[in-house]
Amino acid sequence: MSEISLKVEFGGGLELLFSNQKSHQLSLPTRVASDDSTSPFGKEQETKALDITYLIHWLRDHRLKERVELFMENDTVRPGILVLVNDTDWELEGEGQYEIKDGDEIVFISTLHGG
Amino acid sequence: MSTNCGNPITETDAMMPRRCKFDRSKMCIKCKENRGNIVVRHAVYCKVCFVLMLNQKFKRSLEPTINPVPDGPRKKSLSPLGNLVIAFSGGLGSTVLLDLVHRGYISSRKPRQDGDISTSRKDPKNEMVWKEVRVCYVEVCGAFPGMRDRTDDVRRVVESYDGFEFVPMRVEDAFDERWWESVGGRPVEGQLGVDVMNEDLILSPSSNPTSPLSTLHIYLSSLPAPTAIPSTLQTLTRLLLLHTSRSTNSSHLVLGTCLTSLSISLISLVAQGGGFNIKEEVQEEWCLGKVVVKEDKGKEGRTVRIVRPLKDIGMKECEMYAWWSDLEVVGQETWPGAPQGIGGITKDFIIGLEKDYPSTVSTIARTCGKLAPKDVPAGICILCNRPSQGQVKAWKDRISIRSLSSSPLPSTSPAQPSLAPYLCYMCHTTLTSKSSKKPNSAVSTEKGDGVESKVEVPVPQWVGARITAMGREVMKDELKEFLLVDEDD
Repeated sequence: MSEISLKVEFGGGLELLFSNQKSHQLSLPTRVASDDSTSPFGKEQETKALDITYLIHWLRDHRLKERVELFMENDTVRPGILVLVNDTDWELEGEGQYEIKDGDEIVFISTLHGG
Repeated sequence: MSTNCGNPITETDAMMPRRCKFDRSKMCIKCKENRGNIVVRHAVYCKVCFVLMLNQKFKRSLEPTINPVPDGPRKKSLSPLGNLVIAFSGGLGSTVLLDLVHRGYISSRKPRQDGDISTSRKDPKNEMVWKEVRVCYVEVCGAFPGMRDRTDDVRRVVESYDGFEFVPMRVEDAFDERWWESVGGRPVEGQLGVDVMNEDLILSPSSNPTSPLSTLHIYLSSLPAPTAIPSTLQTLTRLLLLHTSRSTNSSHLVLGTCLTSLSISLISLVAQGGGFNIKEEVQEEWCLGKVVVKEDKGKEGRTVRIVRPLKDIGMKECEMYAWWSDLEVVGQETWPGAPQGIGGITKDFIIGLEKDYPSTVSTIARTCGKLAPKDVPAGICILCNRPSQGQVKAWKDRISIRSLSSSPLPSTSPAQPSLAPYLCYMCHTTLTSKSSKKPNSAVSTEKGDGVESKVEVPVPQWVGARITAMGREVMKDELKEFLLVDEDD
């Protein structure tokens, strides 16, 4: 199965939930389970192109170290977390449905560190 | 998709399409040339236009407040009456504020040449608006054992800019007579304590002098509900900043409250009984010991104007600016118990609202900005120093069940000095309103005979000083007919 290489970055204190590591270089399959399950799936299972919703679930299952409630809520990122796709607000790119391309850079920034 | 009243499981057309996050196209609405990078309340901006727009919003919000009396839409010159204090918490808003002030009013200008800023009406674009700019940080780690002291991190961020003087403080300074005297306060003869188990808040000389930190712990542990702790820390921080501003001859104190945090604090303020001060939560004129009237404006050294220049800029915009400008955000630790308090619950609600309905958050701030209390202030609250409506306790007696016991509440004899008449509704509630869920863990609430025991809590320095001053005034009033009149009067 072919893979897509991407860079994920965390900011605004969100990196503390991910082993205090700001930058992660990942390789993920081009086709993933349409129910966003990140465990290996069979041939019969429906698939979809790798998108940000799947990436969020994958990060939760494979990189997040603590307090999932500070990262996710209702199958997406928690309110107060901004997502940038190649330095552009993900709201301009279709949010979770954006299909990730090879070499993309996805940034998650938490706004919830006080004011 | 979001639900539209009907049941989406049985009625397929009950789901209405969610409004698109941006209007028209993905191109920047300003330059119309570049592809957009950010959506701000349905409007699309490219990175360059976004930064310009944010700077404009900041200046449009700040500059009309700089002169003692606003010039109107066509400003001629910027001549503040004093210096500037920037309140810096290390959080997102104040980090953005610090950078915007530095770029807009310090790095791009040279030091002010004229000696007397009050007489100058010039605003040369290449000269600094304020002669001196201080950055004040109030460390609250003393309130919570085990919390990390961030003063050094904050100092590093502040000192990375030139032109700022760093002024670190600690929240326990509110109970420190050395700090009080350093900001020009008159020494208080002996510490005063207040009995928080009695709703009249009876005052008496405090018998056990303790260190400022221990006094802070006693004060916080005597508070009757979890919400009271963050709200008390905010009040102490605000007064520390105001007294510091006054002592440094500063006419302006700027806070990094952004649109989102302003909406949170407005709703939270109303929920805690502070609705009378909703106007002050947006912008405030503070003068020691009195309500600011029109005549006070424009007089040097009399008032400090608290301004929130980011009040039209949302949290998302602040975060994008910080990210794209590569600003270091020190951050703040979450205060224990704060997420469960009124402020924490309001924050979760507003942040959730902002995600799906971004325009609603600015509507909250705009709507609250139009509200004004029906009554004129009866005075200022001795604790928070904001205008107070007066007769708080009598009003509470009329509208609420004050006790479950059949016997009437014990009343204060006129001989016993009481703090309650000098407090606003919110401060009185903060000190006396018990949580319905759990009894106060820090103090025993009842003795065997059902009578509440006395718990003496020291008061902040400015409260003690004001009580002492009022005592002197009362004594002077009583003695005035026996005093000889000075011939010069």
